[in-house]
Amino acid sequence: MAEDKYNLKNPAVKRILQEVKEMQSNPSDDFMSLPLEENIFEWQFAIRGPSDTEFEGGIYHGRIQLPAEYPFKPPSFMLLTSNGRFETQTKICLSISNHHPEHWQPSWSVRTALVALIAFMPTNPNGALGSLDYKKEERRVLAVKSREAPPRFGTPERQKLIDEIHEYMLSRAPPVPQLNPAQDSEEQNTNREGEAQSSLQEDGAIAAHSNPDPVDGENLAVGDRVIEEVPEAAVDANPGTAELRVSREIPAGGSSDQLLHKPETRAQKPADDRLFTWAAVGLTIAIMVLLLKKFMKSSGYGALFMDGS
Amino acid sequence: MQNQNHNQNQNLEGQLPDEQTASQFEDWANFGDDDIMQQHSAIRSAEADKIPFLGEKEPISALAAEYESGSPILIEKIKVLAEQYVAIRRTRGDGNCFFRSFMFSYLEHILETQDRAEVDQIKRKVEECRKTLQSLGYADFTFEDFFALFLEQLDCVLQGNESSISHDELLNRSRDQSISDYVVMFFRFVTSGEIRKRSEFFEPFILGLMNATVEQFCKSSVEPMGEESDHVHITALSDALGVPIRIVYLDRSSCDTGGVSVNHHDFIPAADDLPNSTSGDSVTKNPFITLLYRPGHYDILYAK
Repeated sequence: MAEDKYNLKNPAVKRILQEVKEMQSNPSDDFMSLPLEENIFEWQFAIRGPSDTEFEGGIYHGRIQLPAEYPFKPPSFMLLTSNGRFETQTKICLSISNHHPEHWQPSWSVRTALVALIAFMPTNPNGALGSLDYKKEERRVLAVKSREAPPRFGTPERQKLIDEIHEYMLSRAPPVPQLNPAQDSEEQNTNREGEAQSSLQEDGAIAAHSNPDPVDGENLAVGDRVIEEVPEAAVDANPGTAELRVSREIPAGGSSDQLLHKPETRAQKPADDRLFTWAAVGLTIAIMVLLLKKFMKSSGYGALFMDGS
Repeated sequence: MQNQNHNQNQNLEGQLPDEQTASQFEDWANFGDDDIMQQHSAIRSAEADKIPFLGEKEPISALAAEYESGSPILIEKIKVLAEQYVAIRRTRGDGNCFFRSFMFSYLEHILETQDRAEVDQIKRKVEECRKTLQSLGYADFTFEDFFALFLEQLDCVLQGNESSISHDELLNRSRDQSISDYVVMFFRFVTSGEIRKRSEFFEPFILGLMNATVEQFCKSSVEPMGEESDHVHITALSDALGVPIRIVYLDRSSCDTGGVSVNHHDFIPAADDLPNSTSGDSVTKNPFITLLYRPGHYDILYAK
């Protein structure tokens, strides 16, 4: 990056260059974002669809515009890849993500905002404008399609950046899961019972910790809540495992209430995932009962696994 | 409410097809958030036309003139005030007035006294604040510009080096948004860090102000620009920077004994590592910063 061509006396430029540096030195598997060479107030980004959602495996590109008063004023976001959750080529209303512009604070950054955006993908739009409420199947189709080619947009220089970001994300993001989710989670639950259990508790802790903001709410716990989640997400970003992890969930404003009065499902999921969750839980319980029976009969691990498979 | 209406506009525009060309969508201005922000900044600039971030020094009589036909208690109180104070400097009522008053008052004090011991003192405290923020998990880049800018101003008011500035230049800088707002934001970071670091101490005070956790309070009432300050902010800033602050209260309250007096409260920084900031006990350090508080607003006062 040719730093000398920018006015380093300009505090916004200084700050943005630092964010670029920070972004490059702490890369994430969940997103990638870089400014255009000729204008550091214009960024391109791509986010990975969050795991255990219909967006999993998707690579969604977008554009960020930083205001001259950055970081006193918030960046604007716009998606370029069809995703079924946010309109493309339409500025995302930051209010949806609880980033009320009047409450934006300079301690937030492009990174914070991208993490928040990822967390908001699987939330229920609740009719929020600028949002789309496509069916899960349609979103899944779009997720598959999003990997095929990056969007065509803007100048050749911008396109080059988009293509680079796409290559990077492709190398990081696991493919879209193709399996029937119910079947998949069945395997999952028999194989990874303990693990699921423990990560469940973790999620529970996060969900309990975060206050249930209504989507149009005033408060902005999101930034932090999301940040807390980063390390966890990074650990789980295990390329090669295309399994659908039933127990994982992105705690997000708006869905927390629904989660809370369904504790018996054990797997906390946003509302639109409920059907699959119920199916998975039903199957799991059936299997558990079978296993228990077998276990009582044979009381041996070897036997258990042979019968269970 | 307002938000909803804006959102509706946005929806209409959101119907555009994906294949839309780049040039067509370069114009992404008509949006809810932007409208709100434009409105906010319109209000702010209307306010700015009335008064700069920091006004000129005015005699106390200018304050009296404001209340000529007002409450007799206030008129009496201003008379009492005039016995101890000679001048007032008004600040813009943009929600940052406490921090902005503190900024100017502090830097002006250093400029006039050249008190290097105090500069060393505050620099040590600033370094502690930096560590506090780091330990609270703030990314360095989110606050270091603000810190650097404050330290730069501090060096500038000390005379005898090439970057030294005059009193007029200090006033100019304090009125220049790109400097003034950065220093205000620096104080907001310092305040937020101190409150979070000593959250057990501050929690009951915050609960007394509003039904919010320490975390929520910092996010909604300390860090965002334009959020007004209360005694919690003042205590935290004073403690964090080791700078005592006197607040003189000008309100309609009167005491039953008949005599009119003007109350003040001294915020004396807690002795190092002692988590109690007692007030009124100004044996150690007498406040050199005096601010006049009228409900909802702070201005700078100059003692005789």
